[in-house]
Amino acid sequence: MKRKIRIPDLGGARAYILHRPHATVQALERQLRAIGLTVVHCWPELPAEALSGDFVFFDADQGYDEQFPWKPGESPMPMIALIGTEAPGRIEWSLEAGAHAQILKPVGDGGVYSALLIAQLAFEARAQLSGEIADLRRRLDERQTVVRAVTLLAARGKSEAEAYDQLRQMAMAWRVTFEDAARRIVANHDEQRKSDDRRDLG
Amino acid sequence: MKKRIELGLLYSRSGSYSLISEACRTGALSAIAEINSMPDLPITFAPIERDPQGNIDAYGPLCEEILRDSDARHVVGCVTSWSRKEVIPTLEKAGGTLWYAVPYEGFEASDHVVYTHACPNQHLLPLLGWAFARLGRRGFLTGSNYIWGWEMNRLARDVILSASGEVLGERYLPLGSLDVERMINEIRATRPNFILNNLIGPSQYAFLEAYHKLGQEDAHFRPETCPILSCNLTECELPAIHPDAVEGLVAAGPYFRGATGWPQAQRNFGSSHEAAAWSSVYRLAILLSGHEDAAEQSLAQLLHDAPQGSEGIDLSTHHTALPVLIAQVENGAFTVRERFDAVAGDPYLARGRNPIAPGAPRLKVVS
Repeated sequence: MKRKIRIPDLGGARAYILHRPHATVQALERQLRAIGLTVVHCWPELPAEALSGDFVFFDADQGYDEQFPWKPGESPMPMIALIGTEAPGRIEWSLEAGAHAQILKPVGDGGVYSALLIAQLAFEARAQLSGEIADLRRRLDERQTVVRAVTLLAARGKSEAEAYDQLRQMAMAWRVTFEDAARRIVANHDEQRKSDDRRDLG
Repeated sequence: MKKRIELGLLYSRSGSYSLISEACRTGALSAIAEINSMPDLPITFAPIERDPQGNIDAYGPLCEEILRDSDARHVVGCVTSWSRKEVIPTLEKAGGTLWYAVPYEGFEASDHVVYTHACPNQHLLPLLGWAFARLGRRGFLTGSNYIWGWEMNRLARDVILSASGEVLGERYLPLGSLDVERMINEIRATRPNFILNNLIGPSQYAFLEAYHKLGQEDAHFRPETCPILSCNLTECELPAIHPDAVEGLVAAGPYFRGATGWPQAQRNFGSSHEAAAWSSVYRLAILLSGHEDAAEQSLAQLLHDAPQGSEGIDLSTHHTALPVLIAQVENGAFTVRERFDAVAGDPYLARGRNPIAPGAPRLKVVS
């Protein structure tokens, strides 16, 4: 009965609402305050302090990229789109802007709490995935290094499988990743060859 | 000449939870009678009553009927969370207000509802804190397959695990099911320090009786070492349960029969359900008595404009501050074991989920 998702405590969190003054904003603010958040209103641009905010609600109807002090899709906090016009172009834009959840306008008596939770969890999941992808990409880029390291180790009279195994044990002994160990071996070898070259010159 | 104000009542007079709705209804009607006989108040209430008969699909339409066919803007009613959620869209459309006088699982703060009974920081958290200090932190969670059971146990699990306690089991029964044997067997096998009972209606009654039998077979399962804890059982349901089965049960609530301090009344109530419904009507009467056009105002406007303040109703959450009493059934009646100062309702637990109520004495852990 292990739970995968932990419901975050939202008390004391700060929400920025990027929307022109409107009844919808009042209804949104009422719900946010009841949930225990503090609310900051801004329009038409997010101030730099918003970078330290916990949530950003933004207007999907009249929003544009330059409102945000970060690149589209790279917000450092969960973003929730306030959608009035369900036009495909506007939905496309809010997705590109990085919406993690949405609320339809007019905002009524509910919907904000679930949007906060869904946005928070989607944000965390996306951040975790981005981290994993970056790591995988780095390891993919290191493929050539690994092949070189294995070849170098194998050149000392080992089979390829033995060399591979040796590299793994070195990584473990050095407490570094497999790819880092490979890079070390290759760098070591290049260094040695350079000094050998210099000796030849001398 | 007093102003006559129509007031909706939406309680089921039959069905599986009618003991609770009757208690609430009694509280509301007695408050109406008191208000109407108070010479100083400029208003009287005229009840406009509808009976959903325990049928969940009747709540929305009957609430709409009250708001459409009468001048009532305020409705006292609903027992289950499900029925409350059913009427909210109707209230929103018609600009009406529901006064909800039953303990519930929190995580709601409608613009159209006033919550006059306890939410988890006023019942579950202090009750767990009490149990941790006296019994231990190994709990078994039971509940009906229904939002109350699910949410209460989810929170209890969080609180128990963050206190380095252990959840030995979490079992649910379909609404109305009497099939408690599996739960009892699991409890017998896991030997917890306490059982959190979030079963409702007949399932709860059957469970209490089966657990009492278990206690007769094995002394560990008696109230002294492993009591049943409850956040919504009050005097109003005791007639449905065998007296031996409920003896020793520990419950949290803002009021138990004979307690003083809340609500501000010069008399006793049958249960906290009755007291909370009474308090709802009483607060509303004061709010409506202070200024012109009060009866036509939305809840937000009314709370904002009332000259004597919002009657303790929090402007952002619409919850109230309530004392927390921990009471145990002794010779068929609840006896208060511990009393904590009034604590403000915190439906989203924005102030954290510490199991000990503020102002509580430092408690020694007995293990």
